[in-house]
Amino acid sequence: MRRIWSAAFALLLAGCGVQPSEVTDGGTAPTGVAPGVTLYFVDEQGALVPSERDTGRLGTIADALALLLTGPGDSDLRTEIPSGDVTRVTVTVGEDVVELRVPLAADEVTPLGTDQIVCTALAAHVQAGGSAEVKARVHFTLPEPDSDALRTCPLTE
Amino acid sequence: MSRRPLPRGLRARLIVAFALVTMLGAGAASWASAESASDALVDSSQRRLTEDFAERIGAIAPTLTYPPDQETLDRLRAAVGPNTTVTYEDLRSSEGPHADLITDELLDAVGDGDRIATQRITDDGPWLLIGAPVMITAPDGTRTPSGIEVYAVRDLAEVHRQIAALASSAIGTAGAALPLSVLVALIAARSVLRPVRELRDTARRLADGDLDARTPPLGADELAQLAVTVNEMAESVQGSMAAMGRMQADARRFAADVSHELRTPLTTLTAVAEVLEDASGGMEADAAESARLAITEIHRLVRLVEDLMEVSRFDAGTVHPRLEEVDLAEAVRDSLRARGWLDRVETTGPETIRLRADRRRLDVIIANLVGNALRHGAPPVRIDLSASETHVRIEVTDHGPGLSDQALPHVFDRFYKADNARTRTPGSGLGLAIALENARLHGGDLTAGNADGGGAAFILRLPIGSEEP
Amino acid sequence: MADILLIEDDPLVRRGLELALSRHGHHIRAAATGEDGLADFEASRPDLVVLDLMLPGVDGFTVCSRIRSADQTPVIMLTARGDDFDVVGGLEAGADDYVVKPVQPTVLDARIRAVLRRGNGDGHGVSVHGALRIDTTALTVTLHGEPVALTPNEMRLLLTLSRAPGRVFSRQQLLEAVWEHDYLGDSRLVDNCVQRLRAKIETDPAAPLYVQTVRGFGYRFGPL
Repeated sequence: MRRIWSAAFALLLAGCGVQPSEVTDGGTAPTGVAPGVTLYFVDEQGALVPSERDTGRLGTIADALALLLTGPGDSDLRTEIPSGDVTRVTVTVGEDVVELRVPLAADEVTPLGTDQIVCTALAAHVQAGGSAEVKARVHFTLPEPDSDALRTCPLTE
Repeated sequence: MSRRPLPRGLRARLIVAFALVTMLGAGAASWASAESASDALVDSSQRRLTEDFAERIGAIAPTLTYPPDQETLDRLRAAVGPNTTVTYEDLRSSEGPHADLITDELLDAVGDGDRIATQRITDDGPWLLIGAPVMITAPDGTRTPSGIEVYAVRDLAEVHRQIAALASSAIGTAGAALPLSVLVALIAARSVLRPVRELRDTARRLADGDLDARTPPLGADELAQLAVTVNEMAESVQGSMAAMGRMQADARRFAADVSHELRTPLTTLTAVAEVLEDASGGMEADAAESARLAITEIHRLVRLVEDLMEVSRFDAGTVHPRLEEVDLAEAVRDSLRARGWLDRVETTGPETIRLRADRRRLDVIIANLVGNALRHGAPPVRIDLSASETHVRIEVTDHGPGLSDQALPHVFDRFYKADNARTRTPGSGLGLAIALENARLHGGDLTAGNADGGGAAFILRLPIGSEEP
Repeated sequence: MADILLIEDDPLVRRGLELALSRHGHHIRAAATGEDGLADFEASRPDLVVLDLMLPGVDGFTVCSRIRSADQTPVIMLTARGDDFDVVGGLEAGADDYVVKPVQPTVLDARIRAVLRRGNGDGHGVSVHGALRIDTTALTVTLHGEPVALTPNEMRLLLTLSRAPGRVFSRQQLLEAVWEHDYLGDSRLVDNCVQRLRAKIETDPAAPLYVQTVRGFGYRFGPL
């Protein structure tokens, strides 16, 4: 009788408190490191292509877009974004949408140029661990109708 | 350790059982809720710690140079928080104080996988171990390990304290139920035990002879059925007893009536017997003998009827002794003299014994004992008188064959005849029974046995009695 | 020997006792009911009445009381039961003695003779005790000069006691001296007779002067 009671009591006490456990899954591993940043330019055939720029780190979306606006440099690629003095892009990351405010007017940028901006921003977002489903909206200084539509990168479709 | 005896008594057992069941129920419920609450608590804090861990890494990762150098690893470690270790290939950040808690299983899980691994351990208190590879994600979403691994040790002591508080409140809840359960148990025990106690009282009254005792059955449970059964039993016993009592009373009244009715003709017979006896001298021889036979039988009949009347009076309980101061030796002598037995019986003992007794009944006892000894025993018949502080003792012995073991238990039975031959003796067969009744009427006793010499011995003990008030 | 009135309802018992007592020399008149008995008593004035208690109509107790209120004729009761109730009732009604049925005629004859015996004068003549004057020769008693009518038993009791003033007599002794009973006599006869005697000679029967009680022993005469 006494033994049964002490067993029950021990069981009761053992039920309380933090129990040791096996190794369990804690979710998706963090990401965000990269040897460089991926920018999108246009090749000779007029196709959109990624281009690695070895910056030593991934950096932010704004950093990536600033690099994109400075142009392809001395490579075989070209850009359809007119170069300007101002390369500062304001990036707001929302839940489903990344808002990009570029220092460009809508009529200055070709659709391909717009794709360059969108693909570079979304690539940087994904590489930093963001969702691949996120879309981008580009706000030009002078918008045209539908210029601020939600966009995706045609390369990842 | 000596075991305490289990509590006896239905009430104590009911209360203990009830309290235990209540405590167990309350305890189990509290324990279960505390258990699920503590699981939830552990889960949420574990998730929070893990998310925080991943967020801190994710936040700083884009700013880290890759491949990392020692300084990068230290930056990452600082960003994730204390007790963190970061490795990359052969590089290793500076370590926190609990880095050695990281288990091999966790290291394996992190090295092989692309997900965060966690593990709880309880060495030196509860800890949560978190480990994760930092991934490189291509623009198209494909992920590859970067080779950087982050390990953190997080203290779960606070969670442990919260759980302990939960558990103690659970025990408290169960404990708080105890007085309430005892109260409920008391009420329940009362409602169960009251009919049991009533039944017990009824049974006791029945056992004490109060056949009117009943228990009103309440409700329709097993106890009520038991009460009904007990009542039925009492009813039937009472019926049988009443019938038996009636039969007994009828039989006694019949004996009394018969002997009373016999008195009237016996009065005539007794009166004319004397005339007949006087006249028998002038009769023919056989007529005279017949007359004497009739007269002898008339006297026997008178004696028998008188004894029957006496027994009937004892049975009816209408006998009251008339106590007076009696000199024992003188009373014995008077009895013997009146029956002409003085020279056949030897009396010994002090002359000075006095007691309070009914003279006539004392005479009846002595006459019956001595008469019995003279008829059935052999001379010499002796009477020994003695006295203690409170009692007188009268022993009547003869020198006959004594009483057989067979006869001994029955000598005081009515109409008991020791001899199978049923020898006709002058006794009525009621003498010893009447003697015993008279002894008891005085608060004394009469016993039969055998003397050392072999003869029968009857010992009468009577209380001396108090002085006249 | 004596004129006896026998009141008994059972004809066979009546005839049997008549036969037996006649042989002892008594002259018997018999009556079957209380009414007849009382009428006979008035007419014949017998020396003694033998009375059955269980009578139809007027019962024995009533008959006894009536006889006793008329004069001092002795009464002997015949009781069928010998029960205390009958004995006590009969004695209170004034009976002088009782016998239990079935009774042997010799026993009844002895009781009759004892009850009728007035006690023998012892030749001392007259003794005077205060206001009480006892003539032991003529067997008469006067109180303050007034004659007192006593039954034979009362007379014998008074004579026995007054013969030795101050001496204590036990009930047993008185039973044997007055009633001529054996050693098993009923002491209630004595107590009843003493009560009746006191009612006749004592000024205050509750605080008797002549017949005094000695608790636990019996009675004594005086001392004055």
